[in-house]
Amino acid sequence: MSEETTFFFYDLATYLLNGITQGSVYALVALGYTMVYGIIKLINFAHGEFYMIGAFVGFYCIAAGMPLWMAFPCAMIGSGLVAITVERIVYRPIRYAGRIPALITALGTSLLFQYAGQNIIGADPKAFPKVTDFENQTYKFGELYISTNQIVIISTTFILMVFLYWLVNHTRTGKAMRATSFDKNAAELMGIDTNKIISFTFFLGASLAGAAGVLVGMYYNSVEPMMGLIPGLKAFVAAVLGGIGIIPGAVLGGLVLGIAENLVVGFWVSTYRDAIAFGILILILLFKPSGLLGKNTKEKV
Amino acid sequence: MDTILETKNLTMRFGGLVAVNNFSLKLGKTDLVGVIGPNGAGKTTIFNMITGIYEPTEGDVLLDGKSLIGDHVALITQNGICRTFQNIRLFKDLTVLDNIRLAGHFRMKYGVLASIFRTKKFHAEEARLKEEAMELLKIFKLESKANHLAKNLPYGEQRRLEIARALATKPKVLLLDEPAAGMNPNETKELTGLIRWVRDHFQIAILLIEHDMKLVMEVCEKIYVVDHGTQIAFGNPSEIQNNPKVVEAYLGVQDEEQK
Amino acid sequence: MSQYIADLALLCGVFIILAVSLNLINGICGQFSLGHAGFWAVGAYSAAAYSVYFAPPILDSLNLLIACGIGFISAALAGVLIGVPCLRLRGDYLAIATLGFGEIIRIFIMNMDSIGGPRGFTGIPKWSNLFWVYLWVVITIVFVVNLLRGTHGRAIISIREDEIAADSMGIYTFKYKTMAFVIGAGFAGVAGALFAHDSQFLHPNGFTFMWSVIILLMIILGGLGSVTGSVIGAVILTILPELLRFFGDTVSEWRMVIYSLLLIILMLWRPGGIFGKHEISLPFFGKKEKA
Repeated sequence: MSEETTFFFYDLATYLLNGITQGSVYALVALGYTMVYGIIKLINFAHGEFYMIGAFVGFYCIAAGMPLWMAFPCAMIGSGLVAITVERIVYRPIRYAGRIPALITALGTSLLFQYAGQNIIGADPKAFPKVTDFENQTYKFGELYISTNQIVIISTTFILMVFLYWLVNHTRTGKAMRATSFDKNAAELMGIDTNKIISFTFFLGASLAGAAGVLVGMYYNSVEPMMGLIPGLKAFVAAVLGGIGIIPGAVLGGLVLGIAENLVVGFWVSTYRDAIAFGILILILLFKPSGLLGKNTKEKV
Repeated sequence: MDTILETKNLTMRFGGLVAVNNFSLKLGKTDLVGVIGPNGAGKTTIFNMITGIYEPTEGDVLLDGKSLIGDHVALITQNGICRTFQNIRLFKDLTVLDNIRLAGHFRMKYGVLASIFRTKKFHAEEARLKEEAMELLKIFKLESKANHLAKNLPYGEQRRLEIARALATKPKVLLLDEPAAGMNPNETKELTGLIRWVRDHFQIAILLIEHDMKLVMEVCEKIYVVDHGTQIAFGNPSEIQNNPKVVEAYLGVQDEEQK
Repeated sequence: MSQYIADLALLCGVFIILAVSLNLINGICGQFSLGHAGFWAVGAYSAAAYSVYFAPPILDSLNLLIACGIGFISAALAGVLIGVPCLRLRGDYLAIATLGFGEIIRIFIMNMDSIGGPRGFTGIPKWSNLFWVYLWVVITIVFVVNLLRGTHGRAIISIREDEIAADSMGIYTFKYKTMAFVIGAGFAGVAGALFAHDSQFLHPNGFTFMWSVIILLMIILGGLGSVTGSVIGAVILTILPELLRFFGDTVSEWRMVIYSLLLIILMLWRPGGIFGKHEISLPFFGKKEKA
């Protein structure tokens, strides 16, 4: 191999690694989008804000001196609780009003958190405290650098996904979730408390987003109230890309999106970074609206 | 027989499920024909294929000998097939008059700019459209309610309006999807007379899907019976009533339900 | 003070045009677009590019008219480009796709150096004034109202009511969806042109998704589907931030929080807005029809 091709492959590996790191975060957030959509057909715009809330709960816990292994679950539970509250107060009353009113409500909720956050906490980014000593270490493989943070993000994501897989496929609650998303009325007739299941789904989705928030806070070393906006939208794109309502689809979509972004930015232009996701979204909506893993369905007349 | 509408071996498959299998039908210019069958027999799917909402997996639909496969739903209506819906699909927040006027939309001969600048042509065309619409409403005894919102009409009148709206497209073939659904016996009786009258007055072919056996037997001249997407019988009402296959597949089921 | 009132009135006019045009798409045709700020931006930037680079030395008002025409055409073209692929999508998916396009437009502007890119576009002549803005307000309203009282407008409304029924009545729904979308985009472009020649400075961050939401809030507040409602909604939400200033800077800072709460509360308690689908008729628009 010539020197040039060697460098090319190291570059490629670096971008892929960055893409997988970022994609894992998208995937974690996308899971919540997809689960909520699967169960009540709502595009929960405010989902990106659960990610932001998770990041801030983590930030304050760690700033107060809590060790990471405690702050992390606290952040997950914190954003989960916020999500349950939002669902109970805002989404439940509007659940049967149709998709567009629900979407607008979600939009309002999202803006409410962003701007209330800006006014209460302040719009300036806050530096995420250093958590561990090994945090910023990098390991070198030839010309490829891997940071501890990347390993933490990828492995945490992996663990959470395995946990989710087990929860959805091998527990009673998971079964009830799948039943509710398949046919809510039938699930109710079978004695499933669908309200409880929907609340739980919100909790689960938001806590995964909260986890992603803390991971990103550590990775980029900063948190701010608007941080949920773009990743939230991109995670939505990831969910649609994989096939909204399909759990493995969210993971696939997140990874594909993360990798695509980093490859384009790395090899081509960086200024269009945020346009890539929307471009992918539009392409997928036009050519395969059911997503990569979805099945095409027909509207009933 | 002078055929106006013909379907040849219509077949519709959704994935592995066969909703309609090899359904063939011939409809004369002023025939009044019924399609009956138990729930889920594929009757509405047949309508959806004829009107272009679904493209059949196999088979052909011919209007006046010309194939309609691949034509846009709107074009099929413009060419002369119009329908009503099982679950009433009126323009609920529009007036009764506007519902009728919309059915005459495709025959209007002025452009967008004419309507912005209120040209002579605009006024003339609108006046003609309104006159035609009011005439139709009079026939259907709805003219006093022309300015009511469609959603505020009582159920029976909504059904009637939907038939009037379909007729306003001046169809050659009218498809009625369970017109008596949700009606009480009195309303059904009135409807029976109305359907026959519409055929005689407008001289068009009517194809209707119905659950109400009494209505079908009374009003239709010929009846197709489908079960599981397949035609199991064809004949006049008395032949159908005495066909053992029909009794088994359809009437039998209904008897059980009634018990 | 009177200058301040005049400025505010001018801004009201711009937002009336934006609200009425969005209402044509969202409220009247029922196609939920979240990308209106994108069309606004296209109109503003293309009109400004005309007056900065190409405008011949003729009467200012004539130049403004040309700029508005360019704003309309370029935004309408963007509307075709976005509408034709996206309008096949339904409901919430359409909303997200238009949101995406709105942002893509902004990112593209951010990357175009000749129109200022991230620095903003400066040196736009001050040609807008109350007269021209309100002339366009009247044109927009008359256009939309007259459209609605003809067969094409009814066809547009029928799509909101029931698309499948409309198809089945012989109406080419896709054509009319696209028509509503393109006309709506075009008038948003005019609003952009007028805005550009009032503020004299444009920045991509002035056309974020947040503005699409604010215009949306205007038409929801007034009543989706009601032109009167859009006008009232636009006026209220343009003046509200100024009123909030009287209560001090802190209250004013909470503007977006108040807006988002308003959006949620409206959806929960009064989804029809102030006017529902009703209109206040003025003799000016022609007599109310009797049957």
